[in-house]
Amino acid sequence: MSYAGYVTAAYAVFAAVLLWDFVAPRIRIAQVLRAVRLLARRQAARGDAPNELSR
Amino acid sequence: MSPLIRWFHQLGSPPYFDRFAARWAPWAYALGLATMAVGLYGALFSVPADYQQGDSFRILYIHVPSAWMSMAMFALMALYGAIALVWRIKLCEILAMACAPIGAAFTVITLATGSIWGKPMWGTWWDWDPRLTSQLVLLFLYFGVIGLYAAIEDRRAAARAASLLAIVGVVMLPIIRYSVVWWNSLHQGQTIRVFGESSMDASMIPPLLWMVVGTKLWAIGSLLARARADNLQREAGKDWVRQLAGVPR
Repeated sequence: MSYAGYVTAAYAVFAAVLLWDFVAPRIRIAQVLRAVRLLARRQAARGDAPNELSR
Repeated sequence: MSPLIRWFHQLGSPPYFDRFAARWAPWAYALGLATMAVGLYGALFSVPADYQQGDSFRILYIHVPSAWMSMAMFALMALYGAIALVWRIKLCEILAMACAPIGAAFTVITLATGSIWGKPMWGTWWDWDPRLTSQLVLLFLYFGVIGLYAAIEDRRAAARAASLLAIVGVVMLPIIRYSVVWWNSLHQGQTIRVFGESSMDASMIPPLLWMVVGTKLWAIGSLLARARADNLQREAGKDWVRQLAGVPR
């Protein structure tokens, strides 16, 4: 194949950008769901802990 | 009410859209990947080398569909943005903003592959040619929309401001499209026509069509996945998201 280096580089860029495009929303969804879980855990812990004002 | 209209109204509900996107995004990705695989096989192995450009012309099969997608995503973003501005539909704001990173990704591919193709054919990685420059401006517009959306804390106000920028930016699309006609350009003129005869040999067209369809299907998958992520973030405090995250009641 002539210009094999250029063709390979171009297809590699295409694959790399599409891979990022595939992974990025998945990471964001996982982050959002993790943040929701952490917040719920924190709220639950606060609810269980003795509250000075309620005594 | 007709089932189609009912479905359209249901789609505006965040939990319903989440289920819809979670169900169909993987299918769109898979179909897009399969279609592109067929196109890439044709592009790399079955189509003969160009008599002038040799095998470097095979870059066309990723460069042209990406360029078309970069413009199509901008038009779609502006359309969703206009609907969001006029009718204040939250889902359209989300979809408009989800278009931006996808369009930016395809614009990056277009510029990078064009540059890689330009080096052996033109002898340079870059030239301030009207087509290349207008495509670069499109990338900056995408960055502007993404940046504006991220900069304003109120999600709805941010989406409206960024939608306005997207609508104004649509002016770039005919400039990109006709830049090779209006100005003397290093970039080659139009060789592929959807309607009418292309100046490319007919045997070289089928892989391009596979790639065009494949990138569109991929973009649908990506749009659903990104819109789902934004939708979840906006609705993070709601019960249905807590349930989805596995938080016990």
